[in-house]
Amino acid sequence: MFLQLVANGLVTGSVYAIAAVGVSLVYGILRLVNFAYGDMMAFGALIAFGVDGPLHQSMVVATLAGMGATAALALTLDFVLWKPLRVRRAGFMSLFLASIGLALVLRQALLLAAGSQPRTYNVNPYRVFVLGGVRLSEQQLIAIATAAATIVAVGLFLALTTVGRVLRAMADDRALAAVAGIDVGRATRLAWLISGLLAGLAGVLAALVEYSFDPNFGFELLLPVFAAVVLGGIGSAYGALAGGLALGIAQEVSTWSGFAGGVNPVYKPVVAFAVLAVALMLRPQGFFGQARVG
Amino acid sequence: MTALLDVDEVVRTFGAVRAVDGASFAVEEQSITGLIGPNGAGKSTLFATIAGSLKPNSGRIVFAGSRIDRRPAYRVARAGVVRTYQAARVLTRMTVLDNLLIASAGHPGERLTGLLLRPRAARAHERHTLERAQELLALVRLESHAHDYAGTLSGGQRKLLDLARILMLEPSLVLLDEPIAGVSPALRVELLEHILAVRRDRSITFLIVEHDLDFVMQAADRVVVMNEGRVITVGTPDEVRTNEQVVDAYLGTAH
Amino acid sequence: MNILASGGFWAFVGVVAGIYTILALGLQVQFGFAGLLNFGQVAFMAIAAYTMAILVVKEGWSMWLAAPLAIVAAGVGGLVLGLSSLRLRADYFAIVTIAFSEIIRYVATNETSLTGGSQGTIALGPIGTASQYNGEWSRFEGRVQHALGFSSSDATMLVIVWAVAVALLASTWLALRTPWGRVLRAIRDDEDAAASLGKNTFAYKVQALALGAALAGIAGLFYAWEFSFFSPDDFAPLLTFFAWMILLLGGLGRVWAVPVGAGVFGFIFAGTRFLNFAPFSWFGSDQRAYLRLIIVGLIIIVLVLVRPQGLLGNKREMVLE
Repeated sequence: MFLQLVANGLVTGSVYAIAAVGVSLVYGILRLVNFAYGDMMAFGALIAFGVDGPLHQSMVVATLAGMGATAALALTLDFVLWKPLRVRRAGFMSLFLASIGLALVLRQALLLAAGSQPRTYNVNPYRVFVLGGVRLSEQQLIAIATAAATIVAVGLFLALTTVGRVLRAMADDRALAAVAGIDVGRATRLAWLISGLLAGLAGVLAALVEYSFDPNFGFELLLPVFAAVVLGGIGSAYGALAGGLALGIAQEVSTWSGFAGGVNPVYKPVVAFAVLAVALMLRPQGFFGQARVG
Repeated sequence: MTALLDVDEVVRTFGAVRAVDGASFAVEEQSITGLIGPNGAGKSTLFATIAGSLKPNSGRIVFAGSRIDRRPAYRVARAGVVRTYQAARVLTRMTVLDNLLIASAGHPGERLTGLLLRPRAARAHERHTLERAQELLALVRLESHAHDYAGTLSGGQRKLLDLARILMLEPSLVLLDEPIAGVSPALRVELLEHILAVRRDRSITFLIVEHDLDFVMQAADRVVVMNEGRVITVGTPDEVRTNEQVVDAYLGTAH
Repeated sequence: MNILASGGFWAFVGVVAGIYTILALGLQVQFGFAGLLNFGQVAFMAIAAYTMAILVVKEGWSMWLAAPLAIVAAGVGGLVLGLSSLRLRADYFAIVTIAFSEIIRYVATNETSLTGGSQGTIALGPIGTASQYNGEWSRFEGRVQHALGFSSSDATMLVIVWAVAVALLASTWLALRTPWGRVLRAIRDDEDAAASLGKNTFAYKVQALALGAALAGIAGLFYAWEFSFFSPDDFAPLLTFFAWMILLLGGLGRVWAVPVGAGVFGFIFAGTRFLNFAPFSWFGSDQRAYLRLIIVGLIIIVLVLVRPQGLLGNKREMVLE
C-alpha cells in the first residue's frame, strides 16, 4: 500500500517536475513568475486533444502537436507582452501582475473557444501493469517514463551544451552575462521555447493521468508546481526537478493510513502547501535557491 | 578616552570566501576614525556587519558596553549606530521634509498604540520633530526643497540630505560609507566642514570608509588599515602613510 | 428588456462597487502603502463571512456580536499569515498568500460539518434556518429603509455600504497622514533604508497586513448580507484579482483612487452583463461571462503596460516599478 502511494506520487511528481523546470527556466532568465503557466499547460492538453480526437492521430503525434503549439504560444506571448514590458524596464511586481492578467485571458479564452465540458483522450485506461506489488495504468507508466526521459534530456542539455550553460549563467547574473557578450535576446527566446515545450508536455501528461480534464485544470496544477519551484529554490532547474518529485511523493504518501490514519485525500493540495510552508520556515531561500530576489 | 566601538576578531564568510578574516580594532569616543584598504580588503563587509545588515560568523562587536553583533539592523540603529550608504539612500518617493521627519527616534505617533493611547504626546513630539527638521534643513541649505520629492535632488544634494537625516537621529556613532564618492570638490570641502563641526558640536563619533586617501588623511584622527580581511595596522594618518606594510598592501606586494 | 434603465440594477452595481471598494482598500493599505504582495485577500473575506454565519446560525449569537468578532477573526488571520510569512522574500510571500487563500477555500469546502461544505451556507443548519444569519440584518436594513423613506431595499443597502465605505476611506486617509503612516510609506519606498533609520519594518508590515485583512473582512460581511447566501466558491482567487485590477485602475498608493477604480470596475463588469447589442449579442450568456473576464485580464495587462500609475495615480509616487 505504501509502495503504491510512492508510485502514484512518482507519477504526480513527474508532471510537477517537468512543469517546475519550465517555470524555473523562465524565472531564472527573466525574473518572471509566470502565473499563466498552468493555463499554458491546459492549452497544450487541449491542442493535443484536438489532434488526438477529431483528427484521429496517435497520442504521440498529439503530444508533439500540443508541445509545439504551446511553444509557439510562449514565443508569441514573449514577443507581444513580455518583451514590451522588458523594454519598459518593468519590475518584478509589474511582471507578476501582468502574468495574472494573462492567466485570466488565457483561461477564459480557452473556455470561450472550447467550452467547459470535460474531455478525455482516446486511450484505454484499463490497461494496468503490475510491477512488484504496485499497480500502474498504462498512462501512469508513460507519464513516469516520459518525464524521466525529459528530465534527463533537460538536465544534460543544461549541463553539457553551450547554450545550456549560457542559460544557467544568465540565471545566476543576467547583467554580467549580457556584458560577457551573450546574446540575451536569443537566450531568452530559447528559454521560452523550452518552457513552452515543457508546459505542453506537462499539460498532456497531466491530462492523460487524470483521465478527464477541462480548461480549468491548469490552475489547480499551478499552485503545487509553484510550491515545487519554491521548494527547490526559484531559478534553479535542478531544484525544481527535485522539488517536483519530492512534493508529488509527499502528497500521495501523506494519505497513508500508517500516518495516524493518514490525511484525507481531499486535502492533498493542502499537503503540498504545508510541505512548502515548513520547508520555507526551515530554509527561507528554498533548498537550492538564493536568499534575495536578484 | 574609552573605546566607543570594539570590534573583536570578527569573521564573516560568503561560502568559501573569507571576506572578513578576524578583524579587530577599537574606535575611540568622539574621534574621526578612517577605515582604509585596497579593494577586496573587506571594508564594506565589515561595515555592514557592524551596522547589523550581516551577522558575523564569529567574533564580537561591542558598542557602548553592549554586544550588538547579534542584533538586527534596526535595533543597532536604535542603539545609536547609524550608517550611510555610498549612494545616498534617500526615500525618493517622499518629500525632502518627510525624509527628515521619518528620522525621528522614539516617536509615539509612529506606533499604533501611541496614536490611540497617547495622542497628545504624539502631537507634541511631531511638533518638536518638525522644528528640528527645519533647523537641519537650514543647516544644509535645502530649505527651499523641503516639499520637493527627494528623487528630484541631485547627487550632492542627496548627500547633504543624508547628513541632515543622520543628525536628526542623534546617533552616537556614524558609519560613513564613502561619503565623498562622486562628489564635486566644492561639496567635498563643505562635507568635511560639516563632519568636523558635527563632531565638535554634537560629540558624535565617526568611522569613515573612503578610497580617497587625501580626504581620509585630512579628516581622520586615526586610521585603521585593512588588507585581505584583517587589520594590518592602526595609527595616525602620518604613521600610516609611511608604514611599509600599508604601502605594500596597496601596491599588491603583500600577501 | 432594457435593464440598463432599471434603478434596481444600478443600485446593485453600486452595492457591488461599494463592497469591492472596501476589499480593495484593504489591499491598498497592504500593497499601495506597505508594498506587500498579497494575492490571497479573498481569504479574509471568507474568514469573516463564515465566522459570522457560523456564530449566528450554529451558536445562536446575536449578529451584532458576531459581526465585530468576525472582523477581528479576519484581522487575526492576517496576523497569522504575516507573522509566519512576511520574512520571506517578496515572490515567495506572494505565492504563499495564494496558497493561504486556497487552503481557506479548501477547508471551507471540505469541513462540511463546520461550514456547510460546498453547498454553502444553506447547509449550515436544518432546512429553513440557514438564512437566519441574514435575519437580524434584514430587520436592521428595514429600519434604515423606513428611516430614510426609501421604497427599495437595494437603495437602502447602497446607502449603508457606501456610508461605511466612505467612513473607512476617510479613516484610512487620516491614518496614513500620521507618523505611523509615514513609516509605512518609507518601508514601501526602501525597506532597508527604513530599517537603518531604526524602524522595525517587520512589525509595520504585519500591522498593514492585519489591518488590510480586517478591511477585507468587512467586505466579506457585506457580501454575506447582500447575497444572503454564499459558498466556498464565491471566495475564489478571482475576487482578489478583481481587487488588484481596481487598484491598478484607480492608482496605487492613493486612498481616494480606490472608489474610482471600483466604480469603473463595477460598471465594466456588471454593465457588460446586459449588453444586448453586437458584437456581444453574437455570444451566448455563458460565453459572455468568459468574455467579460477576458476583458478584465486585458485591462490588467494594458494598465501594467501603459499606465501603471492608474487613472489617478501620481507618476512621481509610483509604487509599481
